[in-house]
Amino acid sequence: MTAARVVAAEWTKLASLSSTTWLTAGTVCAAAVLAFVLGLFAGPGDAVSASSLASSGYLLAQLGPLVLGVLVGSTDFTVGTSLTTYAAVPRRIPVLLAQVVLTTALTLVTGVAAISVSLAATAGARRTAGLSWTLSSPSDLRTAVGYVLFLAGAGVCGVLLGSLLRRPLAALATAVALFVLLDQVLATHPGHVVDTVRALLPSSGTRMFADEARLSALGAGHGPHLGVGGGGLVLAAWCVALTALAGFRLVRRDVS
Amino acid sequence: MRAPGPSFPRVVHAEWTKLLGLRSTHVVVVATVGLVGFLTHLSSSASAGDPGFVPTRGLADVLPLAFLGVLVLGVVVGAGEHSTGTFRSTFAAVPQRIPVLLAQAVVTAAVALWTGVLSVAAAVLGILPAAASREMTPDLATAGVPGLLLGSGGFLVGAGLLGLAFGALLRRPVPALVAAVVLFLVAPVVLSIAADTGDDPVAVHDPEDPPAATAVVNTVESFTPVGAGAVLTNPGGGGLDGAPDLGAAGSALVLGCWVAVPLTVAAVRLRRRDLV
Repeated sequence: MTAARVVAAEWTKLASLSSTTWLTAGTVCAAAVLAFVLGLFAGPGDAVSASSLASSGYLLAQLGPLVLGVLVGSTDFTVGTSLTTYAAVPRRIPVLLAQVVLTTALTLVTGVAAISVSLAATAGARRTAGLSWTLSSPSDLRTAVGYVLFLAGAGVCGVLLGSLLRRPLAALATAVALFVLLDQVLATHPGHVVDTVRALLPSSGTRMFADEARLSALGAGHGPHLGVGGGGLVLAAWCVALTALAGFRLVRRDVS
Repeated sequence: MRAPGPSFPRVVHAEWTKLLGLRSTHVVVVATVGLVGFLTHLSSSASAGDPGFVPTRGLADVLPLAFLGVLVLGVVVGAGEHSTGTFRSTFAAVPQRIPVLLAQAVVTAAVALWTGVLSVAAAVLGILPAAASREMTPDLATAGVPGLLLGSGGFLVGAGLLGLAFGALLRRPVPALVAAVVLFLVAPVVLSIAADTGDDPVAVHDPEDPPAATAVVNTVESFTPVGAGAVLTNPGGGGLDGAPDLGAAGSALVLGCWVAVPLTVAAVRLRRRDLV
């Protein structure tokens, strides 16, 4: 039982589900359609940048990797195949790592497709608003890479929550609360404590693709000044912490 | 002597047993109430230092977002049986099928209402420390506060029933939850971004005469469940710029339609189509 074989087995499981195809295609479409529709509202002199237009589809797109990850992490437990899986891989951890690796790879590809299609879909809006986007500009490239990394981080958090909670609905509700709901609740009431808590949520990862205007707006708040890298580190820290929790439950507790 | 067979009270009783027998029901209620109390405390303490601090204003900070728990609960009630397979025994026992859906609506509404009452109490407790630090006594009889508490409870019931309707309609928990999350959490942000993007940041508009795009976006928003919920949880706040002011009753009606339409479609699907 080599690591490569575990990855191959998990890939077979993942690739044979029709939901994987639908989720991947749905994420790309949702990102592009939302970016296109929001682009229709942009005009010259508005408070938008080319990056914020292209990445505005993340509101819907982040749900795709979250659902995909949750399904990857929890399906074995809900349908009962976990018994077979862990009889074949008694050390158990390789399965979790294989799921994380596969979801990362798949969400990276999905993210690249989503940002590319979103950029194409907002070309008209950029012309109307008099903005430009080039791959050679460091800040434009940074937002595009950050967008892809954020989606991958969301997918990994989804897998780990799914594996930790073992029920798709509970895992998805927790993921939605961490990525969307809590940020919205806390945003309505800025303050030192509230902004600190908000900066430490996984939704802080959206700083990776925030444009300069939004970063300076966030920096003017009362919370810690994380910046682009800090936001990414918070999301990475959530991934590490959840890996530890999910790994602990998987190794120390019964699988049934 | 009572007629044998599944009378409606018996169906309700059976659904009630099923719902309370789930550990997730208790987890959802406790987590929702605890989070509302804690976050209300956090946000009202954060604003306790402001010069014009009014303790009861903090009540409305978190209550509008307490719906996620009951929404999940509704989805579980509506779709859970179809994913576990127990729907076979349920609909063999109640071949008319529709009473089961109605009974599920009754028990979901009851648990959502109970969660709403406890959440409101938790929010009131949450503002007490901040009020005490300024030596104020929150006046719960002030204009608007009873309406706010009533509206918050009503919004939670609406959210629970909407979750049930989506669950019963789609019969699969994950797609139903994703659809509900898009409607409740993504749509409002998208609409506010659309309103902001189309707005010149420097220009100052007369609230009576906003630009056409903003008026359209705001009108759409006031007819979404969250737009209706915002009016219910903030009575007397007035409508959005350029949108018709529906008032609390109108917003409750909008929310009611959001529940009634998918629930009716789900009932038709339940009655006319095979259960698989």
